[in-house]
Parts: sequence; C-alpha cells; structure tokens
Amino acid sequence: MSKRRLKFSKLGMGKYISHLDLLRTFQRSIVRAELPVKFTQGFNPHQIISFALPLPIGVTSETEFVDIDFDEKCSNETIIERLNENLPYDLKIVSATEPKVHPKEITYCQYVIKILSEGLEEEKIKNFFREKEILAMKKTKKGEKEINIMEMIKEAEIISISPDFAELKLILSAGEMNSLKPDIVTKSLEKYLGIDEFESTQIHRTKIFYGEEEKIKEFC
Amino acid sequence: MYETIFEKILTKVQKPARYIGNEFNSVHKEFTGKEMTFAFCFPDVYEVGMSHLGMKILYHMLNEREDTICERVYAPWVDMEEEMRKAGMPLLSLESHRPIKDFDMVGFTLQYEMSYTNIINMLDLAGIPLCTKDRRLDSPFVCAGGPCAYNGEPIADMIDFFILGEGEEVNNEIMDAYKEWKGTSEDRNTFLEKIAEIEGVYVPSFYDVEYNEDNTVKGITPNRPCAKAKIKKRIIKNLDDCFIPEKLIVPFMDIVHNRIMLEIFRGCIRGCRFCQAGYLYRPVRERSVDRLTKVAENAIKNTGYEEMSLSSLSTSDYTCLKDLTDKLLEFTEERKISLSLPSLRVDNFSMELMERTQKVKKSGLTFAPEAGTQRLRDVINKNVLEEDLLRTAKIAFDGGYNRIKLYFMIGLPTETDEDVLGIAHLAEKVLNVFYDIPKEERKGRGVNITVSTSSFVPKPFTPFQWEPQNSIEELVRKQKMLKDAIKSRNITYNWHQSTVSFLEAVFAKGDRRLGKVLISAVKNGCRFDGWDEHFNYEGWMKAFEENGVNPDFYCYRKIDHSEVLPWEHVDVGVTKNFLMKEHDKAYAETTTPSCRDNCAGCGAACFGGGVCFE
Repeated sequence: MSKRRLKFSKLGMGKYISHLDLLRTFQRSIVRAELPVKFTQGFNPHQIISFALPLPIGVTSETEFVDIDFDEKCSNETIIERLNENLPYDLKIVSATEPKVHPKEITYCQYVIKILSEGLEEEKIKNFFREKEILAMKKTKKGEKEINIMEMIKEAEIISISPDFAELKLILSAGEMNSLKPDIVTKSLEKYLGIDEFESTQIHRTKIFYGEEEKIKEFC
Repeated sequence: MYETIFEKILTKVQKPARYIGNEFNSVHKEFTGKEMTFAFCFPDVYEVGMSHLGMKILYHMLNEREDTICERVYAPWVDMEEEMRKAGMPLLSLESHRPIKDFDMVGFTLQYEMSYTNIINMLDLAGIPLCTKDRRLDSPFVCAGGPCAYNGEPIADMIDFFILGEGEEVNNEIMDAYKEWKGTSEDRNTFLEKIAEIEGVYVPSFYDVEYNEDNTVKGITPNRPCAKAKIKKRIIKNLDDCFIPEKLIVPFMDIVHNRIMLEIFRGCIRGCRFCQAGYLYRPVRERSVDRLTKVAENAIKNTGYEEMSLSSLSTSDYTCLKDLTDKLLEFTEERKISLSLPSLRVDNFSMELMERTQKVKKSGLTFAPEAGTQRLRDVINKNVLEEDLLRTAKIAFDGGYNRIKLYFMIGLPTETDEDVLGIAHLAEKVLNVFYDIPKEERKGRGVNITVSTSSFVPKPFTPFQWEPQNSIEELVRKQKMLKDAIKSRNITYNWHQSTVSFLEAVFAKGDRRLGKVLISAVKNGCRFDGWDEHFNYEGWMKAFEENGVNPDFYCYRKIDHSEVLPWEHVDVGVTKNFLMKEHDKAYAETTTPSCRDNCAGCGAACFGGGVCFE
C-alpha cells in the first residue's frame, strides 16, 4: 500500500456538500471506481481517507487535498481517470502525488472573493484592510469567542473595483491552531461599509500554504 | 433565471445539500423545448422523499425515454420556504432549477395522508392554481399516484388525474397520449378524456358526487361517456419483465434509507385485516432469484453503497429466500456490504436466517405482533402465536441480539383493556426469555425491549373500513394505562400522537368535501403534519370549523355495509363482498389462512397472475 495525495476541485453546487458528506462521497466513488484501496481492520472496516483542510460550506475551491492509501501497483493515472469517471459532477481530481508535507503544517489559505453590491467604495475597502483591529465573533468547539481578524489576514489585495463590484484576493490564517473563515471577513466588511448584506458574495479557495511568514510555500 | 437568488438563499438555510441536485446518477438532460417535461414531486423533505423506492423506479423509467425529461422536486423545509417566499422565488426542480410551473406535468406521490397539506403548499409555492377548475391551457397537468390515490377524494379538487396501481406501464401510456395531444390545439379536457380510457387512470372531474341529507354519499356518477363506472387499478403481471433501476441516485447527505433497496416481491399473502397495503397490492408476485441477483450486483457496482436491504411487505415469505441470500452473500461479503432483511415474521424466523443478516453487521431486530392477546391477534388475522414470538426471542438472544423492538397497535376493533395490558405482559415474557438464560451464557451487556404502539386507523379497502376509530381521549387513556403497566426499566415504551392518528383517519376515509378544509389548513399554517414539531392541531380544528365540516363524521361512525363509500368507484381487485366476509370473520374471531395455504377467493385473481395461479 502507498499513500497518495489527490488534489481536487470542488466547484458549482458542490460548495454545499458538507465535510462529512464529502467523505462519504469519496468512499462510494472509490468503490464504484473499483480501485484497490486499504481498509481498516476491525468489526466495521472502512477506507483510510483523510482530508488536508476542511472547506467551509458555501466556498468553492480549485485546490483541495485528500490522502488515500492505494495498492502501490495502481498508477496515479489510473486513479485519476477512474475516480473522475465516478465522482459527482462538481468534484474533479486534478493531480495525484506522493504526500510531501503533513497537513498539520498548513498555515495559510488564499481566497478570491467576488462581491456584488451597491456602494462599494475603493477607499473605504482599503481603509478596512488598513485597520489595526476589527473584532468579530468566531464559533469554536466550546462556543463563541471574540477575535481580532486583522491579526489573521496576512495579505489583502483589491484585484478590481467598481461601485457595484469588487474582487479581492486574501491570504488568511489556516490550520488547526489559528484559522479565519473567509465569510467572517466579508461579514465584517459589510458591517464596516454600513451595508446590510451584499447582493452576492462568491468565495473561492485558490491556494493552500505551509511554512511561516515570508517563507510560505504551496502545500503539496 | 433564479440562480442568484437561489444561491443566496442556500447560504441561509440548514442542510443546503437538500436542494442542490447533481448527485451521482441523477439525470441532467438538456432542455431543447421538444421534450415532454415531468416534475416528479414528493410532498416531504428530501431525506424522506429520496428514500422512497417507487419514485426511484418511475424517475429513472421516465428518463429512459428519449422524448421525456423527468426531474425531482421535494418539499422545501420550513426555513427554505420562508426564504423562498421572502425572495419571491417559486418552487424549482432539483436538477435544472427550473420553475415547476413550466413543466408539462407535475406528479405527486401520495404515500401518507398527512402529506396532503404539503401538496397544496407546494402547488402554491410553484404558482400553479390550486384547483383543477382554475387551471388554464398553459398550466401543467397535476397528477397523483401511490397508495393514498385509491381514495384520493379529499384532494380530488386539486388533481387533474389519478393513476391507480403500479406505474411502470401506465405512466408510459399516459406520456404517449400526451405526446399526441401536445402538438394539437385541443383543450385540456380533450387530453383528459383520452387518458380516462386508459385502465388505471381516474379523472375526478369526470365524476359527480351526490350526498344524502345525513351527509353520507348517495352516488358517484360518471358525467361523460369516456369515464368508466369503475376504475380498475393496474398491476405488473410479471415483475421480472418490467423496468428495475440499477443506476440509483447516490445522495450527498444522509437520508432515511441510505442503501440499496432490492424489491423482492409485491403484495402480501397474509391478509392482516387492518393492513391496507396487504389488500391494495394483491396478488403476490415474486421476482426470480436470477433477476434479483443480477440487479443487486449491478446496483452495487453503480452506486458504491455499503449496505443493501431486501424490500417487501414480509421478507420471510419470499419462497426462495435461502437461495437468494446465498447468492447475494457470495458477492456482498467479499465487497464488505452488509445485507439487511427487514419485515421478518416471528412464525418463520430461524437461526439460519438470522445468521445470514449478521454476517457483516449486527443490528437490532424488529417484530410486529400487532396485538397483545391471542384473541385480538385472531380478530385482526395476524396469524402469529405467542410461542412463535418467544421462540424467536430466544434465538435472537442466543445469537447475541440484545435489542428487540416490538410493534403493536392500540384501538383495534373489539379491543378491551385486557388486550392493551396484554402488550405489557407479552413484552415482559420476552424479557424473561433473556433472564431465563443462565447468567454466564448471556451475551452482551444488558437487554432492551422497545414497545411501540401506533393507533389503529381504519383504512379503505380493508375489512375494517367500516369500523370507527377510538376517540382521542380513549387512545390517550389506553396509552397511559399501558405505560403504567410496564414496570421493567429494560422495557422502553413509545407511542404515536393520537391527534395525528385522528386526522389520518379523517383523510383516509374522507370525501371531496374535505378539499376546502385542506386549503384552509394550509392557510392556517399547517404543513409537515407528519413531523411532531410542526403538527398544528389548532390550525386543523380551525380549518374544519371555518368550513362547517365535522371531522368526527368521517372517523367515529360505524359504517353500515350497505352504505355507499366515497371510494365505491375504485376497483382494486379485492371485492367488497370479500371484505364484508372478512369483517364478519373478525367479529367471530376466526382467522383466514394465507394465500399460499388456501385461496380465500378475494377477487385479486382477476388480474390473471401471481400467487393466484401458482
């Protein structure tokens, strides 16, 4: 058996598939694809599958990772081809490699966010990202706690802006210890701009990083 | 057109996966404008509707046709409905997210009476006129099938046509007729007149119902030549020859029955006198082991499911069950797929059968003695003996099953307090079977017996259709009495809300005058009536009052055999004469043997197939 790291995209309506449902979807797709996969021992055997980093519901992604144990004789090409024939429409395997970095080392994620709304002023949005402190509530396992989201935004770039449309690129803290969900940023931005609710907010994950500060590298 | 609103709404509701479609094996066809379009609606939430076998069959069967697009629609949960109404978004289909009012046909499956308000609410959300008389040339045709369609009178005002019986053939005949009509400039009634001639199709507006002064039905008369005096249900004579879906949709989210359901036969040989399904689906017809084995293997390959369950009204009555399970286990074991055999009877349960089901995974066992005393079991023709149950319990405990569920009914005809208390005694006897096992030989930790009672609801086309239901107070009294009689902490008692059972009885045996009550109930906020947390009894009572309809009339009267019933014009094969005889035999506490032991001449032989000719 050898562990493979599959990079996959989760697009369209697929953004509403929850983490648990995604796990089940992969398990059944692997069975349909009749790929030789390792099962756990014991009374209720199941496949050994683990995702690198959960994706929040409502967010699309072109860069998700899942580790699965396959028979070493099974080539990466076969895995990609057969799995893509058997995955639902909105999920697609992009590549397969040997895992190099442990998911625990993930530190940041990049998101591209498209906002449709009236009253989007460039200067105000810039000011928002210049703030030293913006407080927001974050759901944790134990309940809610207040956090300063500015400490968790590594980079923010306005890709394009007009009075009714904005495209932002953000690099946010991610990983087990310290992570910021992108919708907390967009909700805080709404509040900051005095807008009740953006007409539409599309969030797309484009990169996952590991390493610290100036030396971050793409997860692989 | 609604994509932006739709996406925005989805961020605000629980379990958005209910509404997205795109599951593996779902059928997404391109709309070119030439196809016939069918919106297949299940009037309950996704997790419930997606678990229903009949809908899976007919959805895939319609989509096999190149000229037809069939898409699914489920009732939006209350949070979704609220957001939809706020945003002005109509009811959309799951696959293409198109408004269902743009479909040619909108079909509902009627699985239980308590889903009627959801039908009306869904039509309203779709923007389709609620009543047939208000629909125009560009409105879809609204049709309905399933067990409640056999007495669909309470929703007759809203349904353009009913389909009675099994749909595998008749649905295709209806689509063929629609194809011919669609190109013409004829009015809606021309189409309905044409399909009224197809066996199994019932167009309610082609029948006039007259009432007597005492509110009973005087007569049901066809008002045009195409309308037959009696509408006969359809069955599939040979179940091996008909379409069986093998590319089942695999949902993302967990649903109520999240597994392959392998339908091994239709009908039931038993004839329990309260059971509507036992009469509606006659005659018994089995599928062959060969056909089932192939279907099962393909379904497993196509879905990747980890569990398969045999589906029928009474699994252990399948004549080749050993052979079938042998063949299925050959590939399910190897693939680590667990096989479950629900609906087992205690009178033909064996160690061997049990071992088959537990080879991969062990779960609880459920049996349905239905009544607490032998006398009452004879009345209802549940031909199960106490020693059968105790013998089965012994086998189960010896095999390591420590959880047994027992289903009973309260409020059955002729029931006395002694019968009700008999339920507690029977449960205790089952428990004692466990304690009689020497301590060192007992398996597992502890034991639990769950007793569940539902309340008897008299149903059309059963020998008990003439019977009154117990009053709500009486049912509550019996539930309390039983609860107090159960002493052991190892017995858990669950019961159904009696107000729901009351409404179920009213609508099961109701007539067309209940249509306006349903519309009022929806206005009063009633929906998802089968869900305890949404059941709104006050809303219902107000609806009856607003329309001057007394619900007690429908469920608390002992009906005379000579009375014209609201479903008198429907023919299910089983004759009224047979039902009357069975009704009399119930009072004589005389049982009727199963179809395989001795033909009782119920009338289902008129279909020319199944067990009647074995």
